[in-house]
Amino acid sequence: MTAPAISLDTMRADVARIIGEDPSEIGDDDNLIDFGLDSIRVMTLIQRWGEKGLKLDFAQLAEKPTLAHWWSVASRHQAE
Amino acid sequence: MTGRRTRRLTQAQEGLWFAQRLDPDNPILNTGQIVTLRGPLDRTAFKAAVEQALREAPALAVRFIDGPDGPEQILDDPAFACLDIIDLSAATDPLQAALDHIDRDMARPRDPLHDLLVTEELLIAGPDLHVWNQNIHHLVIDGYGTSLLNRRIAALYNETVTAVPDPDTAFASFDDLLAEDAAYQGSERETKERAYWNELFADRPQVIGIAPGEATSVHSFHRYTIDIGPEVTKAITTRARAAELAWPDLVTTIAGAFVARHTGTADTVVGVPHMGRLGSVAARVPAMVMNVLPLRMHIDEDVPLEELASSVARQLIRGRRHGRYRSEQLRRDLGLIGGERRLYGPLINIMPFDMPFRLHGIDSDLRVPGAGAVDDITFTLRADAAGETMRLELDTNPTLYTAERTRQLGHRFVAFLHAASTHEKLANTPTLSPEELHRWQTVQTSSTHPVEDTTLADLLARRAMAQPDALALIDGDRRWTYAELERETAHFASKLRLAGVKKGDVVVVALPRSWNLVVALLATVRMGAAYLPLDLTHPPDRIKRILDSAKAAAKPSVIVTTAEAKTIFPDDAPLLFVGQGNDVLRDADVAFETPAPEDAAYIIYTSGSTGMPKGVVIEHRAIVNRLLWMGTHYGIGPGDRILQKTPATFDVSVWEFFLPFITGATLVVAPPDAHKDPHALAALVREHGITTMHFVPSMLALFLDEPQTHGLAIHRVFVSGEELPADLRDRFHAFIDGELHNLYGPTEAAVDVSYWLAAPTDISRPVPIGHPVWNTRLYVLDARFRPLPSDVVGELFLAGRQLARGYLGQPDLTDERFIPDPFFAGEKMYRTGDLARVRDDEAVVFLGRTDHQVKLRGLRIELGEIEAAIVADPAVAQAVVDARDDGAGGKRLVGYLVAAPGSPIDSEALRVSVASRVPDYMVPSAFVTLDRLPLSANGKLDRKALPDPSFTSVAGRAPSTDTERRLVALFAECLHLDAATISADDDFFELGGHSLLAAKLLKRIRDQWGSALADDASGDAGRAGVVLGLGVIFTDSTVARLAARIDAALAAVGPFSVTDSEGLAQLIRLNRGDTASSLFCIHPAGGISWCYAGLARALAPEHAVFGVQARGLDADAAPPESIDAIAADYIGLIRAVQPQGPVHLAGWSVGGIIAHAMAVQLSQAGEPPGLLAMLDSYPSDSWREQTDPSEDVALKALVQIAGRDVSELGDVELTRERVMRFLRDIGNPLGMLSDAALNGVLNVVAANNRLVRQHRHGLFPGKAVYFRAALDHIGTDLSPDLWAPYIKQLEVHEVSSLHAHLTGAVATSYVAPVIAQALRQHRLTGSEN
Repeated sequence: MTAPAISLDTMRADVARIIGEDPSEIGDDDNLIDFGLDSIRVMTLIQRWGEKGLKLDFAQLAEKPTLAHWWSVASRHQAE
Repeated sequence: MTGRRTRRLTQAQEGLWFAQRLDPDNPILNTGQIVTLRGPLDRTAFKAAVEQALREAPALAVRFIDGPDGPEQILDDPAFACLDIIDLSAATDPLQAALDHIDRDMARPRDPLHDLLVTEELLIAGPDLHVWNQNIHHLVIDGYGTSLLNRRIAALYNETVTAVPDPDTAFASFDDLLAEDAAYQGSERETKERAYWNELFADRPQVIGIAPGEATSVHSFHRYTIDIGPEVTKAITTRARAAELAWPDLVTTIAGAFVARHTGTADTVVGVPHMGRLGSVAARVPAMVMNVLPLRMHIDEDVPLEELASSVARQLIRGRRHGRYRSEQLRRDLGLIGGERRLYGPLINIMPFDMPFRLHGIDSDLRVPGAGAVDDITFTLRADAAGETMRLELDTNPTLYTAERTRQLGHRFVAFLHAASTHEKLANTPTLSPEELHRWQTVQTSSTHPVEDTTLADLLARRAMAQPDALALIDGDRRWTYAELERETAHFASKLRLAGVKKGDVVVVALPRSWNLVVALLATVRMGAAYLPLDLTHPPDRIKRILDSAKAAAKPSVIVTTAEAKTIFPDDAPLLFVGQGNDVLRDADVAFETPAPEDAAYIIYTSGSTGMPKGVVIEHRAIVNRLLWMGTHYGIGPGDRILQKTPATFDVSVWEFFLPFITGATLVVAPPDAHKDPHALAALVREHGITTMHFVPSMLALFLDEPQTHGLAIHRVFVSGEELPADLRDRFHAFIDGELHNLYGPTEAAVDVSYWLAAPTDISRPVPIGHPVWNTRLYVLDARFRPLPSDVVGELFLAGRQLARGYLGQPDLTDERFIPDPFFAGEKMYRTGDLARVRDDEAVVFLGRTDHQVKLRGLRIELGEIEAAIVADPAVAQAVVDARDDGAGGKRLVGYLVAAPGSPIDSEALRVSVASRVPDYMVPSAFVTLDRLPLSANGKLDRKALPDPSFTSVAGRAPSTDTERRLVALFAECLHLDAATISADDDFFELGGHSLLAAKLLKRIRDQWGSALADDASGDAGRAGVVLGLGVIFTDSTVARLAARIDAALAAVGPFSVTDSEGLAQLIRLNRGDTASSLFCIHPAGGISWCYAGLARALAPEHAVFGVQARGLDADAAPPESIDAIAADYIGLIRAVQPQGPVHLAGWSVGGIIAHAMAVQLSQAGEPPGLLAMLDSYPSDSWREQTDPSEDVALKALVQIAGRDVSELGDVELTRERVMRFLRDIGNPLGMLSDAALNGVLNVVAANNRLVRQHRHGLFPGKAVYFRAALDHIGTDLSPDLWAPYIKQLEVHEVSSLHAHLTGAVATSYVAPVIAQALRQHRLTGSEN
């Protein structure tokens, strides 16, 4: 198994940057929509993470936009 | 029991439900995809995968029913999932056959009540070539849902062939989605979101699209696709990433700016499709969820693009957070119902990436042929999976855009995207693509023409020398040869010289029209002075202001006037009188200098918007260009006689005065005031054989009203000074034998700068001002002086040789209006203040003044459009609309009109007819009938002289008929209002109605009148109201109009089994006129008599008009045996509604033959003779020899019945499908016919053609009024005289029309008054009996 390309914290940092927030403000179970995240930005994130080798699926992330959920999906993918 | 469960539609579904029910035959809500599959496809596995995925998607398996409280969907219906496999591999071109098959499927409308809403087909085009057609109604799926479905199908297929499952593609529960939707309704979140949107749109910004017109999706759309390469894509994505922007938001911003460039407003509202999946179970449910978010953008072109895009992105983010609230609901909240009242303009749909569709071992290519309604224009941008390239799909509504315009917009948009992404600010980004800009520059040099650099003085002298004995001038009984006129000119020049005038001076000429005036002007320019004309009939105050203003800049050396007028001028003014003792002939003339090309030739004062007149100084070089162009372009020369009738203070007079004497023609001076007297003008034209003359269009309209002018031959008539209405052009050619030329130009550019031949064959509406004269450039620019694309409205700027030097003594004003030409260094351009657009043929179209735009209740209104709508009513000859203060701080529209001769104006009828052509908010609140429109001294419309209307109560009249009263009660019931507050003019939607309530209202109407509306023996409740569809509530939304529709439906008699197509009953009522004197119009060949609607409008309210339609429209009816049998049948029909009295008949074409047969039968039965009006019918004898017509002929007839020409379909074989599509595309009601009705029409055409050939006419012992289509039948033997053996007395009227247009608006304006007169006569003689 290769080293994970993305960690929970890099994920948090990427999300924080795209919505213009400080990473420390975003808790694992916070609903990211409340921070102004929208579908277009989710797709932008997926695209950027894809460039780093982590292929995530919009439908999986979109249903529950929290870092905790996303990380669980990402971990599963990175484990494969 | 498993029990079927029914659910209300989701909010997302409701809008689409109504869209489909409003237009049941529209297939545009089929969302399709075409996937070409290359490779060894396992068909069994594929079929299993598709069917399994469908079984997993209950949202697609729902069925719809009309429940008591609105539509419902039934869940858990037995699974229907089935993929059909169709083998097309035997076809000549299997791939093409597959695509054709899919086209047909896409074009088939689905009825949500009866049809399956999912079509899955695998078309075999070869062993390793398949095309998969998936067509699902938008009511149950959206684009994102389709991607989920595709992905699931691929996963299931791949699992079968590779044994690797993909559980991530499983769907979430549709029940959960429905629960989420139900929980949202009435929730706090909904309240919050509603408040957000209502606040954002509280001011209901005016929304305009790129193209004018009503944005309601028709049955098809144009699509133009362009691949956007990696260069542009990278420029966009790189720039977005550098600014921490999501690139789709950047593209949306640029697209919004592109739209704003075309609408001419910095504030623009576009629609952004919103998938609505984030944070919702819908993220994994294939269903219809998507919404359209209205995005308000203020395009500030002066800030860096990143800054603008960031603010747009913030707006988008906020919108998406509130994105569950339906935009359809917001429209209802805001009262924006109907195609004209829009919430947003173009759609901008950016898809960052598609979910890939990959079948193992198969190379697949997925296309989306249609994804829902195209109301206006949709920009869809899809990025490829890697985000390296993009594809633009530009979909447009064909009623608003041509295919060519769509193509242009696509290329322009891609160029704009590229340019914007490389410029710091939008301000630096051109609107035109590089190719368009190049072409624009080429056009601007196209008028270049060598013109001698000389003076008017020189040209006049040369011509006088060249033809001394030719006739130069006629004034009353007096005549001058060129030599004689030259002598007079020299004498007068001597007088001026002796009075102290020299080159460069200003000579004021204040003379009534006479040969003296001509000589004074000639002499002034010959000696290098500039003339300044004054009109002695102008108010003294105005004359004084002009003199004061001129004196300040260039003290006039002399004022040439008459002794009688001297009191107008100050005592110390240097007056020089003509016609007095001091103009004694001298033996020797005094020598004088001659001017140079840059010297001033004349100074003409025009009114300024501030009320202060401005003196425009025109140099010789400028007017020489104008006159030499005109002389050459129109071939004016010796033999021509030009009428001088324009006051010298109006610059049109300049060419009248000078063109004859530089081309060798003769000038005929009209007596003073003759220019206002059509009768006198007509006499002058006849007496002198005038070949060339000018009118201001409103004066031309008066001229044509004068019967003396009819039949005049005038070689060339020029019009300018106002817009030339297209109807006036057509009237001109109906009465005058000659050319009509539309010229345009301000005084500031030497009379005219553009020209257009308004020929009889010209069908332009509006009539263009045309192309530039020599050495002249016409620029249509935006507010930043950037060239605009064709058809986009901007301000007109003029450049080139004809520009004035400026305003006399007003350098600041001169600099303001004459600004540096950004395209030709060192030159100036003149800002006209006129709105214009350029057509694709480069002709310029004038659209009014920049300062005459009216805004009422936030809606932009072009008064010209309303005027055109009023004039379209045959009772009106001329109309002007003005926005007047309503005394309460607001504005109201007032229509001023002049009635057509013999047509009394009924304001109520006019209001109805205007309301039928423009949106309600554009219907004037009051109409004022005038004897004539007030004209200013220059003959232009004088708006200030229009009287104020007396506003009577606009609260509306009380309901007056039983139907109206019952309707008021229904309105009150549906809208929960007090019936006492509802008037007959109240509009259902303005009272708070919306589409859901409209459906309720329709149901109540059907409950009330259904049984009376149709005596359908089946008693089927759904059929009882066949004559009224939901659309009626939208088109006739006031109590009065709806009541009229119900009454008309009630008047239709006789059972009729062709259902769902109203207006096919055998007898239909076409107006609400008085039944004491009814006219019955017999259908032409097609069996339908809707074509008489215009005639019916024109005859209301004096005469009721009924249309008699063929029984054969009903496919089950027995075919008629003979024309005489048809005639007897129709008499029976008529006697059912009019038991006694003379029967008045009219018939066009075959209808005339039938009407004649009816009249013969009636007279044989001893009935008193009624009116028999025949519209270009010819007896059977003329047809008997011709071969039997084919279906082709029947289809042609159908196109003609629609008032169109077959050539408009292009050079193709006529098929039923093509003709119906054409009729639908042009929005003709015939296009709405059901297949059964269409078959009926074609059968009737065939039957009529056959029966007419067998028919033998009897003799009608009365008088027939006959209208001949005078523009047709050239080279045939057809003549009304052929009726001589069958009609005792024939009164023939020649109508300047083609046969096919004889019931059109233009012809009707001639036909209707004649018929009205004849009917009146019948009534009078009838009452005497």
